[in-house]
Amino acid sequence: MERLTIKDIPLEEYTITPGSACQGCGPALAARLVFKALGNKVIRHGVPSCPDSVTATPRTFSVFESAGAALTGVSRALKILGRDDVMAVGFIGDGGTYDIGFQALSAAAERNENILWFCKNNEAYMNTGIQRSSATPLYAWTTTTQVGPRGRGKETPRKNLPFIIAAHHVPYVATASIAFPTDLIGKVLHAKKLKGFRYIDILCPCPTGWRFDPSRTIEVARLAVQTGMWALYEIIDGREFRLTYKPKKLKPVEEYLKIQGRFRHLTDREIEEIQRMVDENWERLLKLDEMGEFPL
Amino acid sequence: MTIEVMVGNKAAATAAKLSRVQVAVAFPVTPQTTIVEYLNEFITKGEMDCEFINVEGELSAQVVVQAASRVGARTFCCTSGPGCLYMHHPMHDTSSLRLPVVMAVVHRGNKGMQPDHTDLMSHIMTGWIQWYVENNQEVLDSIIMAYRVAEDMRVRIPIAVGYDGYILSYTAEPVDVPEQEEVDDFLPPYKPMPSLMPEDFDPKSPMWWRVPWEEHHKIIVNAKEVIKEVNEEFGKRFGRSYGNGLVEEYRCEDAEAVIVAMGTIASTARDAIDNLRAEGKPVGLVKLKCLVPFPYEDFQRIGSEVRAIGMIDRNVCLGVGGVGHTFIRNAIYDLEERPKVLGFHAGLAGKEVKVSDIERMAEKVLKAARGESVSPLVEWV
Repeated sequence: MERLTIKDIPLEEYTITPGSACQGCGPALAARLVFKALGNKVIRHGVPSCPDSVTATPRTFSVFESAGAALTGVSRALKILGRDDVMAVGFIGDGGTYDIGFQALSAAAERNENILWFCKNNEAYMNTGIQRSSATPLYAWTTTTQVGPRGRGKETPRKNLPFIIAAHHVPYVATASIAFPTDLIGKVLHAKKLKGFRYIDILCPCPTGWRFDPSRTIEVARLAVQTGMWALYEIIDGREFRLTYKPKKLKPVEEYLKIQGRFRHLTDREIEEIQRMVDENWERLLKLDEMGEFPL
Repeated sequence: MTIEVMVGNKAAATAAKLSRVQVAVAFPVTPQTTIVEYLNEFITKGEMDCEFINVEGELSAQVVVQAASRVGARTFCCTSGPGCLYMHHPMHDTSSLRLPVVMAVVHRGNKGMQPDHTDLMSHIMTGWIQWYVENNQEVLDSIIMAYRVAEDMRVRIPIAVGYDGYILSYTAEPVDVPEQEEVDDFLPPYKPMPSLMPEDFDPKSPMWWRVPWEEHHKIIVNAKEVIKEVNEEFGKRFGRSYGNGLVEEYRCEDAEAVIVAMGTIASTARDAIDNLRAEGKPVGLVKLKCLVPFPYEDFQRIGSEVRAIGMIDRNVCLGVGGVGHTFIRNAIYDLEERPKVLGFHAGLAGKEVKVSDIERMAEKVLKAARGESVSPLVEWV
């Protein structure tokens, strides 16, 4: 990634505030930051997602399950028409990335199509009203993983999609957060210079779906990273691994969980279980970072 | 012009090459597979400048051609039976976005490997123009014509060119292959509408749209005139045309009765008609090539000229009946004097349809035309 300071963030704006976004919308901010770094020599592809992003760039749209295929079509058409100056960019939610769009995504990654894919990850299907996705974390409440005498929220941890994409040995995979704009933009600027399949997974808190006050979006996003619930890293060519944010000590996950209504029901034991998972994962990531290698 | 003996799938791939397709996509499915292999061969040998994408399934295949067409590439796709069904969801958008994709559908029925028309007919409501062709020459010619029709600014609707699996896909026939220059003259380069390039971007333009139902329907209905024009011009340039582009009449002059057939059954029917005519029986054949848009006007004219029509459907809309039978009855309903319209289901799941079968069907239709008593029930042959 490229190193930059907050002053280096481009002033240009390429997003038009979407009418469908709620107050404190994480994905809307992600779009703003990403397109500042990308500029407008872009064909942006979208599938149904929340909010409906609006950028001052040409765009295409296709059925929910098809972003990997549509971006392939855009990219190959640009190639045969000799328009290497225009990028095929996907700005896709976690449903269109982790779940219904996974087959076409994996296929496009395996073919190493010349695509830059952003997952605006708000950890559930927010467009249809907060249903679980495979990006939803353990024990999170959603409207399809409810809490009651027979339910404790989502029963399984989320899929580790960035690692799965990295196992396709593509040029670039990274995770990012809207609370770390220089890290995010540094990764976008780096990815922009590469050819082939590039994937950046951006954690974007959703006040409506995660049940917190819209004024606290950045705070929630920051705590996700500071507690290790969402680690920031990059994987180059499916070989090199590097943590891009490495605090000396992680904050307790409780600080992140307690401020969100979707985790309000958690018992101390459940919080401990999540803490153990996060600690183990963080140890693993520190080892990978120390080796500098991605083991798959 | 050269005559080459080739199988139907090679005729389809050759048509894509001659049409200077820029992005071709397919997932292999029997009996379409060898089209994919021929295209790969043409591209690998350097005979065709085309991006070929080995996608992971037909749904993706349809979306790749849709997106590439939107950006500005001429696109080709091909499929069969189950793959054709798997594409259903994005096919609606290819037509709603008015993208001139051309797709070969090598028919394979929904209940096995053998051909019938249920695969493509399952897509009647997707807003694609649908042609059903008869032999390998017509496969090649129709794909080239399809680009010209689909890319016409009055149309901009995708076209599926269907031909019977095995019977044509893997059967070799002599095919007259036009010269590249002749095809280039007939088929100008494709331009997307509107441009999707950043330099042409208008922030006020709608971000995406689908053509509304009524307008969409009228565009497809009006495409009949363009299909006729293109078929006629093709005939002038290449010396071959196919009826009026929608239907093709064979020995219908002074006919008291006609049978209607689609795809390869029409070829078999020509022999049956010749035999019956030799016996002095006034029957003719109408080949129904263009199912969508349906040639209502042609069937109204034919319906006013004959006393009975027999439709041979290589399909069944379960619980409703034969698609062609239903449409023809619909077309003739407003005539003051209506002919009888008999229905036959034949050739489903690849069941062989013999000349003698068609002779018997045609004789039944002739009896009905002459007022003799025949069963009005639809017959399964």
